[in-house]
Amino acid sequence: MNISLDNLTVNFDDRFQLDELNWQLNDSQHWVVTGANGSGKSALAAVLAGAGDNLSGSIKGLPAKVGLVSFEAQAELIEAELKKDDADIMDVIAEGTPVHEILNPGDSNQKLIDELVEKFALQSLVERAFRKLSTGESRKVMLIRALASEPDLLILDEPFDGLDVHTLEMLQEYLASLVETVPMVMVLNRFDEFPDFITHIAYVDHGRLQHKIDRNDSKAYNELYQLLHLKTTDLQVPAADPETAIPQLDPTQPLVRLNAINITYDGHKIIDSLDWTIERNQHWQLSGPNGSGKTGLLSLITGDHPQCYVNDIFVFGFQRGSGESIWQIKQFIGYVSTALQWEYKVGTGLRNVIISGFYDSIGLYTKSTDKQKQIADEWLALLGMSDRADTPFNKLSYGDQRLLLIARAMVKHPALLILDEPCLGLDDMNRQLVLALIEKICAGSETSVLYVNHHPEDQIKGINNYLALKKS
Amino acid sequence: MPNNYFNTLPLREQLAQLAKCRFMDISEFPDGVEALKGKKIVVIGCGAQGLAQGMNLRDSGCDVSYTLRAAAIAEKRQSWKSATENGFVVGTYEELIPTADVVLNLTPDKQHTPVVNAIMPLMKQGACLSYSHGFNIVEEGMKIREDLTVIMVAPKCPGSEVRNEYVRGFGVPTLIAVHEDNDPKGEGLALAKAYAVGTGGHKAGVLMSSFIAEVKSDLMGEQTILCGMLQTGSLLCFDKMIEEGVDAGYASKLIQFGWETVTEALKYGGVTNMLDRLSNPAKIKAFDLSEELKLIMRPLYNKHQDDIINGTFSRTMMADWANDDVNLLGWRAETAETAFEKTPAGDVEISEQEYFDHGILMVAMVKAGVELAFETMTAAGIVADSAYYESLHETPLIANTIARKKLYEMNATISDTAEYGCYLYNHACLPLLADFMKDIKTDVIGRGLAVDDNGVDNARLIEVNAALRAHPVEAIGTTLRGHMADMKKIV
Repeated sequence: MNISLDNLTVNFDDRFQLDELNWQLNDSQHWVVTGANGSGKSALAAVLAGAGDNLSGSIKGLPAKVGLVSFEAQAELIEAELKKDDADIMDVIAEGTPVHEILNPGDSNQKLIDELVEKFALQSLVERAFRKLSTGESRKVMLIRALASEPDLLILDEPFDGLDVHTLEMLQEYLASLVETVPMVMVLNRFDEFPDFITHIAYVDHGRLQHKIDRNDSKAYNELYQLLHLKTTDLQVPAADPETAIPQLDPTQPLVRLNAINITYDGHKIIDSLDWTIERNQHWQLSGPNGSGKTGLLSLITGDHPQCYVNDIFVFGFQRGSGESIWQIKQFIGYVSTALQWEYKVGTGLRNVIISGFYDSIGLYTKSTDKQKQIADEWLALLGMSDRADTPFNKLSYGDQRLLLIARAMVKHPALLILDEPCLGLDDMNRQLVLALIEKICAGSETSVLYVNHHPEDQIKGINNYLALKKS
Repeated sequence: MPNNYFNTLPLREQLAQLAKCRFMDISEFPDGVEALKGKKIVVIGCGAQGLAQGMNLRDSGCDVSYTLRAAAIAEKRQSWKSATENGFVVGTYEELIPTADVVLNLTPDKQHTPVVNAIMPLMKQGACLSYSHGFNIVEEGMKIREDLTVIMVAPKCPGSEVRNEYVRGFGVPTLIAVHEDNDPKGEGLALAKAYAVGTGGHKAGVLMSSFIAEVKSDLMGEQTILCGMLQTGSLLCFDKMIEEGVDAGYASKLIQFGWETVTEALKYGGVTNMLDRLSNPAKIKAFDLSEELKLIMRPLYNKHQDDIINGTFSRTMMADWANDDVNLLGWRAETAETAFEKTPAGDVEISEQEYFDHGILMVAMVKAGVELAFETMTAAGIVADSAYYESLHETPLIANTIARKKLYEMNATISDTAEYGCYLYNHACLPLLADFMKDIKTDVIGRGLAVDDNGVDNARLIEVNAALRAHPVEAIGTTLRGHMADMKKIV
């Protein structure tokens, strides 16, 4: 068996579409297809069973005998049974097709069916009408039917859902015994359910096959784990700490008001007489070529640029240079940038890195409260890093560090979240992870986002104010 | 001729001032920078330390500007550039000093007398003058106008770290003091505390000391263990290895980075931990060598401390200042010509542990120097806290400068007083250790012990371990490092 999908676009009754699929599967591989709800992972598996209308591209090498178990296939079968009943114009009580007929549509191995019926403990149900079975029971029937058809390819969409522990173990064991006999494609959502024999993982998002990963590539595997975790968990952004009091801002005042700003290096003006106001609840995107002064402009707002004292800057209720301290400014800001990541060279544990966001410090120098620890742990859980709470920050991968710094920036629910090229230097997987996190974060909070980036594909939903700097 | 202030005091006052040093709890700074709010701070000098402190104070909400000599402004020198590019107002003494409520004198020691003489007549009635080193007051006997408050705030780290640590949300350990002869309104302590908060020092630990204790301990530490011992040790160890046929590149590297590596262990766990990094036979060897070194060098340490206490050192040095630094410049040139300085570190791998195993003599020298400096200082009436900071605590900082660019970098980074004292020590110590070095072989410097097994006599090992741990620098070190760890949860 050698299945090959080339630029395949498949439509499902205009309800859903899979776009530009490129995928090679062969005999020696066992795949898991995974992704968030609605991503198209079941549709992708169904394509291998011939479902959908091919709009463009090609699919080659589909085997003749495909065993398919899925909720959709199950639902179709049940629907068909019900239709049969409806269609019965005779005034007799129709029982519907008995289970044994469903199990063996004709040419299946009856001996194998009997064996499996026993394994699944369905002996007492073989005579019963299929449509009278419970969901779990009918799922078992579907499984037996597919397994006994001795297919060339076995497609199992969430086969473990709704099975009791005993049956689940039995099925996993049985599948493991088939690895030499039949290639399998399984749709699974939970990493801990991935059987050991799986050799490859396909990740589907928004109708596209985003990643194909070799199980042995542990780095990619771990990243995928986090991504899936983030996409599939019912994401709740942890609450702010009620005890870490940040003063209330005057709602009638803008967050930031820059008036005729100049930034000068060696007599050369990088920013020339710029006005900019960020109102509350506005989200902004800042762009411009290298050297156009993006980072300089941001650091005027954060107070990290010494020339903030020679400009007319109003931030968070303070006219700069009127006796305020930078810590009074920073308490309203969450900040992530590549430069911050470079500066954040500490062996501080991950939990404490997140807590340091409450204090705007690099490293943690203050005893944290239990409440802060609890909030930090919620963030770690969100990032799928709970097991690494005490791992030193500098031992993390670049992408994980970035994720953690985003959590650090968000932990206090700042009035202004500044993300200076948050995806810079991240691989594709981590970029999606970061964007997903930011979108989740933006959706339900009072935070204004100021997003700086180059890549047009890294759009963030909800941003509708733009400032583009030119190189002067 | 300047009049040594310390020598004008009665003995009981000398002893009381020397004994001043107390580690302050962070809870003693509830008022933050309040005492400086609304006051105009003018910094004299914009070198690394001046710029770092000014930026920190401004970021803490203080009103900071810089005053420079008219020539520095007219010629747009680096100091002028640094201050203006960072958005500070810069003006001449005449323009800014009369407006200042607090003047921070952050110029080098050598310039203090002319600078203070120039600004004093311009200062507002009742203003405050702050130093970061007490040499001018204590050794040169500078008399400050009676209406002025005189304080000292001395961050115990280079300027770059003063700034970096502040930006991280932390600070560096800082020493503060009030010159009691000049505290007419009794506000000196409040101002010094606010200043320490403004630079972030309160987060890392503040030592409340006196001008006298600061000067006498600082001078002692820097010229003996910190710079003098490391310089002398570098030259002796290098020459010995060359004489014994060790590869020059290897020898150069072992020394250049060895001090930093072994004193890193010192920083974390004192002399005990540094020696615990050695194998048992090597530890006993290092202990014996250091005992021998202490015996030979003790009179030298005593002499340095005596000369510092009675003013001989500062008098000699000021004579050289007056003589266009002939001695200092001559020594500086000599150091640049030494074999160690001229041999670049070889392109060889030396593992962290190898620096210990092949540098037993270096470990012994650090141990002997730290303990002798500490013992001599405390014997002179300086309290253990001060003595600890000026000996053991700062050794890794100086070792770090050698790792960067050998002795030249060290001498360029340290103050003029330290450099002068370092040369004095070096010139006396080299001949003093000549006989001792004759018996030294590569087993303790360069190649490591060649032993078939690591067996040692139990009783002897117990003796050595007990002696290491019983030294008073270890007791105070454990306490002070504990304070730091509590505050500095760098985790």
